[in-house]
Amino acid sequence: MNDLAHPLVRMAGINKSFGGVKVLDDVTFEIGRGEIVALLGANGAGKSTLMKILTGVYHADDGTTFRNGTEVTITSPRAASRAGISFLPQEVSVIPEMTVAENICLGIMPELGRGPVSNTSAMRSKAREVLAELGFEHVSVDALIGSLPVGEQRIVEIARALSGSAEVLVMDEPTAALSEKDSALLFTVLKRLRDAGASIVYISHYLSEVFEISDRIVVLRDGRLAGAFSTKETTIDVVLSAMLGRNTQKLFEERDDSAGSGPVVFSARGLSWKDKLHDLNMDVRSGEILGIFGLVGSGIEHLGRVIYGVERSRVTGEMAVSGKPYLPTGPIQAKAAGIGFVTAERKTEGILAELSVAQNLAASFWTDYGSRGLASSAQENKHALNWISRLGIVTTGPGQPMRFLSGGNQQKVCVARWLHPSMMFVILEEPTRGVDIGARKDIYKQLAGFADEGMAILVLSSDAEEIAGLSDRAMVIDRGRIVRNWQDAREVDAAALLAATADNPATLEEVR
Amino acid sequence: MSVNSASVSKRRFDIGKLVSGQASGVLILLAFYIVLLIVFSILSPFFLSVRNMLAISSNVAFIGLMAAAGTPLIIAGGLDLSVAALAGLAGVLIALLNAAGVPIWLAVGVALGVGAMVGLANGVLATTLKLNPLIVTLATMSIVGGTALILTGGLTKPLMVPGFNWIGSGRLLGVPVPAILMITVYVLLALVLRATHFGRYVYAIGGNPEAARLIGLPAKSVLLALYVVSALSGALAGTMLAAMLGAAAPAAASPHLLTVIAAIILGGTSLAGGRGSVWGTLLAVLILGTLNNGLTLLDVSSFWQDVTRGVVLILAVGVDQLRLQLQSR
Repeated sequence: MNDLAHPLVRMAGINKSFGGVKVLDDVTFEIGRGEIVALLGANGAGKSTLMKILTGVYHADDGTTFRNGTEVTITSPRAASRAGISFLPQEVSVIPEMTVAENICLGIMPELGRGPVSNTSAMRSKAREVLAELGFEHVSVDALIGSLPVGEQRIVEIARALSGSAEVLVMDEPTAALSEKDSALLFTVLKRLRDAGASIVYISHYLSEVFEISDRIVVLRDGRLAGAFSTKETTIDVVLSAMLGRNTQKLFEERDDSAGSGPVVFSARGLSWKDKLHDLNMDVRSGEILGIFGLVGSGIEHLGRVIYGVERSRVTGEMAVSGKPYLPTGPIQAKAAGIGFVTAERKTEGILAELSVAQNLAASFWTDYGSRGLASSAQENKHALNWISRLGIVTTGPGQPMRFLSGGNQQKVCVARWLHPSMMFVILEEPTRGVDIGARKDIYKQLAGFADEGMAILVLSSDAEEIAGLSDRAMVIDRGRIVRNWQDAREVDAAALLAATADNPATLEEVR
Repeated sequence: MSVNSASVSKRRFDIGKLVSGQASGVLILLAFYIVLLIVFSILSPFFLSVRNMLAISSNVAFIGLMAAAGTPLIIAGGLDLSVAALAGLAGVLIALLNAAGVPIWLAVGVALGVGAMVGLANGVLATTLKLNPLIVTLATMSIVGGTALILTGGLTKPLMVPGFNWIGSGRLLGVPVPAILMITVYVLLALVLRATHFGRYVYAIGGNPEAARLIGLPAKSVLLALYVVSALSGALAGTMLAAMLGAAAPAAASPHLLTVIAAIILGGTSLAGGRGSVWGTLLAVLILGTLNNGLTLLDVSSFWQDVTRGVVLILAVGVDQLRLQLQSR
């Protein structure tokens, strides 16, 4: 059905750099009519950048985009949507206080309305028409969208894109927020759309999903095209090896056998939270790094928050620190129990942008620097200078405001803040997301060093290579449950972690 | 790559240094203040006399006190609209208690105590119950203001007690006592913000509340303390005003609320939190007071003074925004 001799969209020779770092290198990407193309790649491979160029968020440094064989310049998301290209982000973005009809017709209200007055009946009939196209005529166009289940909200989002006559839908991790049932619903709709001639770019980490839904698979690695496959004629293994390639750079420290023989510092039994985490068991020992791998939406983003006391309501199960029962009422109590937490959301939850590098580094243990309530800038600066040289933080000095640092250097500060002798157990969420390779290496080295000195470390990450390379022991979490558990992770590689989420084994080893 | 990012951050920082952070904001205000002084002293021969300068310092003390304590609160992400109403209630309480035979300093203590209680209530409602501080303190403003009117029946109560009136109109080594009180509060608060752990927490909590929470900073207690301090400063300002006027009028202070908030913003404190300094606020208070004084000396109608104040506020905030944009470029 798809006709790649005359693709609907063709991006050719796309190059893009950020601050001197090449993130896309001569990438060519085609979308045929009536096909679902899966776009795959590890974190930082360039998928999002490529799609942001297609949808006008970024501009390519070099390269051309053709639509129906004609060169087009897409300068903004608005221009993209006028060219029939619509982007659906990972999180469902609807306006909960508006009706289904209003949400669907959000972009075309001026065309439907009479002058400045919006035309409710035209909106309702247009919404009905689009929903019928999708096979969802049973959804009431007058319902407030906030009252619909998330799966149907996602469908309404698609309807909104179609109401603006989109021909190409770009979807980023569309099932991340959806239950299995809702995902199935979404797949039915996507196939139906494809059969009606729509083109869909589907970005996902879930290989099982990709094999179920896509016609073609395109893989990016380190900003280059690493392979394009017809889904029917390839296998998970082939796609995985294209995604991961051979990593030539030595990123991770060698870890010896003694890791994991220390006393248990943190343990959880039957830990559950809402419908996101189910019956988790784990022990983290002094001197070891436990890595938990999970894809976006697997529950990996909640686990650290539950342990650290950020999420408190509806936590069930038992936790213990050094054998004593532990149930924090908030971060202050978690910290007092010797637990630290490095958030994945560096910008919104990590840095104190207006404060200096020295103050950011001191923030978790401010009272260490100075005495009797008086702060000491001299002591803060001394502490900061030590970390600046240990971690190679690029800054003009301890007094520089944090917001002037690059992302990687900000991340080093956010990690170093918790590497304090009084910490027994430190949880790191996505410790190197959006961080360049040099900074990653520096951070890994410090983590290994602190583990060697007896700290228990838990790394939660959606980067399979990171978990495979860094961990002494590893687990895989999927749909809120631990689906694999390796007591010795030295032989575990990224492909094994990804495969564990792809085949979802129902049985799992006991921790005890 | 790391060399590259080093040079980038270095260049940015040099621009940053040029118009760096809070210091440059205060410098711009200082320059503006000096220009104002020069202009008025050219236009009016009386303006730049010691006597007039002292008069200005005494006149602004009342607003200056409330703006001083409001500054760290806004830096930490809070807001207190009830200060001015509290000032009114404090004066009224002192006058009524004194008339009922309570010793004057005990009456002052009661007024300050009531102030602290209202601050505590503001703090608990805004932090523990997580209500919007704008709404909470708007409500307490209304309650407190109403209470002052109920207690007095809307009438002004005389309050002439020799030792007491000295707080408002006395002099120490030739300097008006209100000015001394005000400067003392500014020095204290500046020290707390600059040199204590508490001060560090204030900026961290206001700058990024979520990060401060995850770091495990005692955000609630810090905000609670700041609400109490703000309310106390309101009660203290009211005490001073009553002493200065020799009478307590229930609604005497309320019209000045907007000037207090305007001074804090004019002084470079961000309403979004995380940024600001008490010295900026002090300069802003002086600028607003000097404008009033100078325009009065030049015989400009008080209606025009309101207009001028508004224009200055917009100009100041505009310049500040420009400076920040320049910085982050």
